[in-house]
Amino acid sequence: MAVREAEPVGSLQEVKEAGLDREDLLGIYRSMLITRGIEERGHILYKQGKIPGSFYTGRGNEAAAVGVGTAMGPNDVGTPLHRDMGVHVTRGVEPWRVFAQYMGREGGPTRGRDGNVHMAVAELGLHTMVSHLPAMLPVASGMALAFKIRGDRRVAVGWFGEGAAARGDAHEAMNFAGVRQLPMVFVCDNNQWAYSTPTYLSYPVEHIADRAAAYGFEGVVVDGTDVLAVYREAKRAIEKAREGGGPTLVECLTLRMEGHAVHDDAFYVPKEMFEQWAAYDPIERYRTWLQNHAELSDDEENEITATVKRLLNDALDRADASPLPDPATLEGGVFASQEDLDTPHHK
Amino acid sequence: MSTGTQTEVVMPQMGVSVSEGTITKWLRQVGDSIGRDEPLLEISTDKVDTEVPSPAEGVVTQILVQEGETVEVGTVLATIAPPGAEVPPPAPAEPAAPPAPTPEPQQAPSPEPEPAPVAAAPAPEPAAPQVAAAAAGNGKTFVSPVVARIAAEHGIDATAVPGTGTGGRVTKKDILSFIESGATAAPAPARAAAPAVEPAPPPEPVAQPEPAATAAEPVPAEPVAATPAPVAEPARAAAPPPPPAPAPAPAAAPAAELVAGEALEPMTAMRRGVMEHMRRSVDTAAHVTSAIEVDLARVVALRQKLKPELAAQTVNLTYLAFIARASVDTLLDYPWVNGEVRGQSIVTRPFVNLGIAVALEEGKGLIVPVIRNAQDLNLTGTARAIQDLAERARTKKLLPDDVQGGTFTITNPGSFGTFHGTPIINQPQSAILGTYALVKRPWVVQDELGSDVIAIRPIMNLTLTYDHRLVDGAYAGMYLRDLRDKLESWDEAAY
Amino acid sequence: MAEMTYIQAISDALRLEMRRDQRVFILGEDVGVYGGAFKVSLGFQEEFGPWRVIDTPLSETAIVGGATGAALMGLRPVAEMQFADFISCAWDHLVTVAAKQFFRTRTPIPIVVRLPSGGGFSGGPFHSQNPESSFAHIPGLKVVCPATPQDAKGLLASAIEDPNPVLYFEHKHLYRRIKGEVPEERYTVPFGSANVHREGDDATVVTWGAMVHTATEAAEELAKEGVEVEVLDMRTLVPWDKARVLEGVRRCSKVLVLHEDTRTGGFGAEIAATIAEEAFEDLDAPVMRLAAPDTPVPFSPPLEKAYIPQVEDVVTALRELAAY
Repeated sequence: MAVREAEPVGSLQEVKEAGLDREDLLGIYRSMLITRGIEERGHILYKQGKIPGSFYTGRGNEAAAVGVGTAMGPNDVGTPLHRDMGVHVTRGVEPWRVFAQYMGREGGPTRGRDGNVHMAVAELGLHTMVSHLPAMLPVASGMALAFKIRGDRRVAVGWFGEGAAARGDAHEAMNFAGVRQLPMVFVCDNNQWAYSTPTYLSYPVEHIADRAAAYGFEGVVVDGTDVLAVYREAKRAIEKAREGGGPTLVECLTLRMEGHAVHDDAFYVPKEMFEQWAAYDPIERYRTWLQNHAELSDDEENEITATVKRLLNDALDRADASPLPDPATLEGGVFASQEDLDTPHHK
Repeated sequence: MSTGTQTEVVMPQMGVSVSEGTITKWLRQVGDSIGRDEPLLEISTDKVDTEVPSPAEGVVTQILVQEGETVEVGTVLATIAPPGAEVPPPAPAEPAAPPAPTPEPQQAPSPEPEPAPVAAAPAPEPAAPQVAAAAAGNGKTFVSPVVARIAAEHGIDATAVPGTGTGGRVTKKDILSFIESGATAAPAPARAAAPAVEPAPPPEPVAQPEPAATAAEPVPAEPVAATPAPVAEPARAAAPPPPPAPAPAPAAAPAAELVAGEALEPMTAMRRGVMEHMRRSVDTAAHVTSAIEVDLARVVALRQKLKPELAAQTVNLTYLAFIARASVDTLLDYPWVNGEVRGQSIVTRPFVNLGIAVALEEGKGLIVPVIRNAQDLNLTGTARAIQDLAERARTKKLLPDDVQGGTFTITNPGSFGTFHGTPIINQPQSAILGTYALVKRPWVVQDELGSDVIAIRPIMNLTLTYDHRLVDGAYAGMYLRDLRDKLESWDEAAY
Repeated sequence: MAEMTYIQAISDALRLEMRRDQRVFILGEDVGVYGGAFKVSLGFQEEFGPWRVIDTPLSETAIVGGATGAALMGLRPVAEMQFADFISCAWDHLVTVAAKQFFRTRTPIPIVVRLPSGGGFSGGPFHSQNPESSFAHIPGLKVVCPATPQDAKGLLASAIEDPNPVLYFEHKHLYRRIKGEVPEERYTVPFGSANVHREGDDATVVTWGAMVHTATEAAEELAKEGVEVEVLDMRTLVPWDKARVLEGVRRCSKVLVLHEDTRTGGFGAEIAATIAEEAFEDLDAPVMRLAAPDTPVPFSPPLEKAYIPQVEDVVTALRELAAY
């Protein structure tokens, strides 16, 4: 079962076949703009000293994240990582809560208990990552296991990077999912740099997706800057899993357009590489496609941009108004009580 | 601490980092009565000079540390007996004090036959085992926490309870059955029955056990009787340790011989403190001094006007109060002048704890009491606070807290007529303001027509000595400029 | 009531929970057809089917991580480590994910990890350890160490019901050696409540797991000498019954803290420190600890005997304490 290299998306017709109408297409554009907008403003907040700790972005990964997020069904779940803000946005996180999270406020999804992109809103089917990558892959496989046990028609999506692919967790999760044919999709955000480590020092084969064969499922490599191609491949994999076809490994190839975190200037990435990939900016690329294939007008575009800007401005204000957590509450939330189990995602 | 009937007076810890103090003056002598909390002596430490109040009412029975001596915190300085207690003869010690009330010559000479020439004192240690021996029969006097608590609750002397634990220790069961047996009759004061643990002076020919009981005792009894304090060591030598090794003295320098007429006197704790503090500051900060001339005509006029009014409130309105008030106000605009270098970081604060350097009489030293939250005080409040601190500094009523936590200091050598100086920064602060003599000087001012004319103006020089590690010259200059402007254009309503 | 061995009581509890609650399932290595390395789940696959009694690959990370994911989706996984020692391979998933998830995002992780622990049968360094203190140190994990069949059953029911990650240390040396009367119906034993395994007023032994029995045997020896020793079975270490321990200290004033885990940093140190802090004035002797020495668990019988606190060791310690 050789790895398949996915074709780019061409016509509107093709997209409609993949299940998207024009509203959906504009929604994807909007999600990508919000994703980048959140991170750009986060950068500014960081430099203003309003964000403690460090700060991570997924610039260059917007299409990969939004594409997969769009392909997920309403009851599907996932464990997105620090380059996957687009997944949170697509699933409906309110941007103000992201800013509140960045700033360690009570209004963030972790209420200041954790920071930066270590967040998720469980009600949206997303579960919070940990720093130990890819520790969430076995967790996602457990979610898929639960669906399999119960016979739910739901799918779990687990993300990992090409760097984290080197850790044993990735192997154990994929092996277990393959053995049990769990309804699961493994998404590899291959942004080519694990902090400063290039791909050839992370893995010795051509594609991470090559590994899928060893676990008995399909692997596919897709251009991670082509949101519609990502969507199509993710959708295919998710629906296959839902129908009992077992896992798929979807590898989205991108370039991490900034450093590992805000303190890293990525001096080790060759300049030509940045220049080359800058020509494939996911948002620029998609805007052009919309203009060429979906008659995106300037007015329409301006309108979308203005709406996003307003949304983010309001979000910043609201986040700024969110209080810092009360130290007196620190010790309260270590253990759950029975009532804490009484939430929709736990049913 | 109270031991039986006597109350001990110890060298107090005047501030967290203080480890020793010097007795400057005994206010009562042996035999004097004293009330609880009445001043007993004066001490001097490197942080503060103060009076030590008596911890108990009674009669001073012993003074163990003489004036001028420096001892560690916690050292017993004196003992106070309850009122009416018999006071021992004033100086029982000096030469041939009979040693501890030890009995007859002992059978077993001490196994370690130390000649112990100096051990003239009735050293406390040996007494203790005797008590235990009487009570427990085997030297082991450890009282466990629970036994101590039960003893305290029932007013029992735990050492008087027969013990069955390891080495004769009194166990919880022992003391409980002791209580149950109704033996509470031997309550706390029963201590008196047992030979005092204290080096209580002679008048106690009481209850010394028979030689038999002490046969095993290696007490340093014998030599003393024979040798009346060979060295002229006061018999009480037990308590005061030898004069403390002068802390960081430049020991290397060969001690020069005194030539005729030279006198050598021990340094007070305060002088040593000042010495160390000044040296450390110079070694720490990069000192730079900038000076500015200030025309205080407005301030002078205002002071004339306000002085009587404030005097009625017993507030002495000094120029220092004006300068302090204006300095504090200006500091809020220059947080680094009021800041601190801490490791690789800079501390700034929204408040000013203003230190005022106060010289003590006869050059005894220098103390820097602190006005906390000086930014909250107006001119009158500042004047009152300065007056209060100066007064308490001179009468040795400052508390340790009064001299801690300063963020900026003003020193006022100008009262002696000096017109310039380069004070040393009070670590860990970043700057110190010096104020100098107010002098009438010919001064170029502008008349109503804008022409330059020479006038006679009251001019004061102010210096800011600052730590160049944190405060740059321009920053310091701006601070001085703003301070001058505030003083020259004093806005009565604002302060 | 029925007489059951300790391991039967564990099986019984698990079976009752699985019958009672569809969400409960077990996963682990060889738990299905084989019935688990110690046969705790023997016959379960026949009763509950292969999707509730899941044989996993040799993948501790996938087992504990998978249990975490399934718990997030509303199930009540009971994961089995073949030996407690192997939990080190899944440390990350307990400590990094499961223990912290609720604190961070308020999503509870109700999982139970069963950990056959303890030595006494020449299991050697990798099949004999008692790593409970490592996990008691991690905020967010609960730690259970039953000593009797009755508690084994009730505590396992409580563990499965608990909305948090629970480490259930079942002592292998008790599996078939210890028997007791166990109610046949389902019941729970609350966490954080110590049990007086033996009454006495002269000294109290604070212990758990297999050492409860060692301590009791030693106490019987002391009774012949007129010293009555209380044996306090902690039952759970997180949470631990501080109040009951302090009460024992108040009454007896002499304490021996005993455990099979190694001494330095063992949970006994926490107990001893707490006694020193909160019951100092009730002590009539220094708090004494008896634990395994700070070495890996040795294999050869004389070495292992020297390693695990024996009845004679406890007798000696108690005599010393009583005489103090």
